[in-house]
Amino acid sequence: MSLFEPFQLPFMARALVELVILGVLAGTVGVLVLLRRLAFVSDTLTHTVFPGVVIGYLMAGQDGVFWGALAAGAVTAVLLTVLAHRRRVSEDAALAMVLTSLFAIGVVLVSQRTAFTSDLTQFLFGRILTVTQEQLVQTAVVTVLVAALLAVLRRPLMLRTFDPEGAAAAGIRVGLLDLVMNVAVALVVVAAVQAVGTILVIALLIVPAAAARALSDRLVFIVPLACLIGALGGWLGLAASYEASVYHGLRLASGGTVVLVLVVLYGVAALAGAVRRRVGLSRARLGTPELEMTR
Amino acid sequence: MTQQQDRTAALVLEQASVAYGHVPVLEELHGTVRSGEAVALIGPNGAGKSTLIKAILGLVPTVRGRIEVLGVTPAQARRDVAYVPQADTLDPDFPVSVEQVVMMGRYRKIGWLRRPSAADRALAAEALERVGLSDRAKNRFGTLSGGQRQRVLLARAIAAQPRLLLLDEPFNGVDAVSQHALLEAIALLKQQGAAVVVSTHDLAIAHLACDEVCLLNRHQFGFGPTDEVLTPERLRATYGGHALELRGDRVIVTQT
Repeated sequence: MSLFEPFQLPFMARALVELVILGVLAGTVGVLVLLRRLAFVSDTLTHTVFPGVVIGYLMAGQDGVFWGALAAGAVTAVLLTVLAHRRRVSEDAALAMVLTSLFAIGVVLVSQRTAFTSDLTQFLFGRILTVTQEQLVQTAVVTVLVAALLAVLRRPLMLRTFDPEGAAAAGIRVGLLDLVMNVAVALVVVAAVQAVGTILVIALLIVPAAAARALSDRLVFIVPLACLIGALGGWLGLAASYEASVYHGLRLASGGTVVLVLVVLYGVAALAGAVRRRVGLSRARLGTPELEMTR
Repeated sequence: MTQQQDRTAALVLEQASVAYGHVPVLEELHGTVRSGEAVALIGPNGAGKSTLIKAILGLVPTVRGRIEVLGVTPAQARRDVAYVPQADTLDPDFPVSVEQVVMMGRYRKIGWLRRPSAADRALAAEALERVGLSDRAKNRFGTLSGGQRQRVLLARAIAAQPRLLLLDEPFNGVDAVSQHALLEAIALLKQQGAAVVVSTHDLAIAHLACDEVCLLNRHQFGFGPTDEVLTPERLRATYGGHALELRGDRVIVTQT
């Protein structure tokens, strides 16, 4: 398999750059999602951005997709934060309702179109190979914004994630911080929507973070590892789908291939993590027997 | 009470009632804790001990009366108040080292962006030393035993240099070594002039570590010096007549 040759084609190069930036963005936010156990909340966000994408597209065509997604993402981020803090309904049930009803709105809207199936496919699974220069810039801007936001808020975010009561006791405004967190997730979904679609973005968020967590117990390593794994998955996935499509007559959808490669990378990381833990344990047992005794 | 006396008061409850929304949880609390003193909050499960701690932190509103912390309102006093949650409420899988947890106690002083200074590091190291866990600084928090995790959380509070320390059931399920370490660290904080509020089920610990006791079960059943307040009659009233056993000078509540 050729890992470099396909990217001499401009459209493949743009796709690669887009996925590498997305990998870094989703990897960073994904670690927080993982630690806060917000996977389902994030999944809800990916579905609720969908009607925004459809409305944006119907109103302004391809250019409207980003702004439609942004509007829907912002609204849902607020909605989910309020919902989580009120807890009127069981959170899971409430999320499932929000998720499906907004998704249904999107489906109903898109079904008005004559090109129903092809539009739906595009919104759900993205079109990574048609990414434009302008979309690259959008993704890069969102990435810089989110990274800066998380860097500035890293201490309150860490304290809130680890110990919510302690954070509130220390005067941190937990509700506001949760809103920022949900907005960050929404921004990832918005940035990724045209490239990988609303459905597959959840994999970009969760899988690299989970793989990085399996490899390390330290946040200073977990975050860069998640970014690296996300970017690596994008590169290998694109190369694999190109190879299969061009040389073997197998049409592999790029978005789906990227996700599958990420899952394989997770498998490798989980295995490596298990080995590392086993070795670490036996080393601890052999190395410091007197410590065990005094505990 | 005159203003003069109030000056050393770290915590003042004045006919204070605390409520979640419209549901009153605690009513008519009255008492004072001075700097360098410790008070034990004692009462059955659901008595409102945790709620009182949250009210002192300004996280649950005082609907009637007044709660004054270090001479100001609870919200204004937060900078000088440290809170120690129960260790088993925290995620043991969280990728954070013991020394990072202790450093969280310095976050308020460090701010959001600045790197921890040498002084911050020294204070964190000293706090960890005080709970006897310096050798575990690099370990992941979740790999420690329950008692050790509780000590790390106390070290985090010590690192914040509080004038009022609030501990929520710190002795629950804690081994003897850790219990001893916690008591020693709390005693030293008191010596250095901090006031301590600690909720507990363990009356022996209240006797051992606290100057005052607040008996709670929705209402206050006594607030004052430990020896005067921890009487079988008052305890029976607080616990709603559940059986009590007396063993020498120790009182044990058999059912909470």
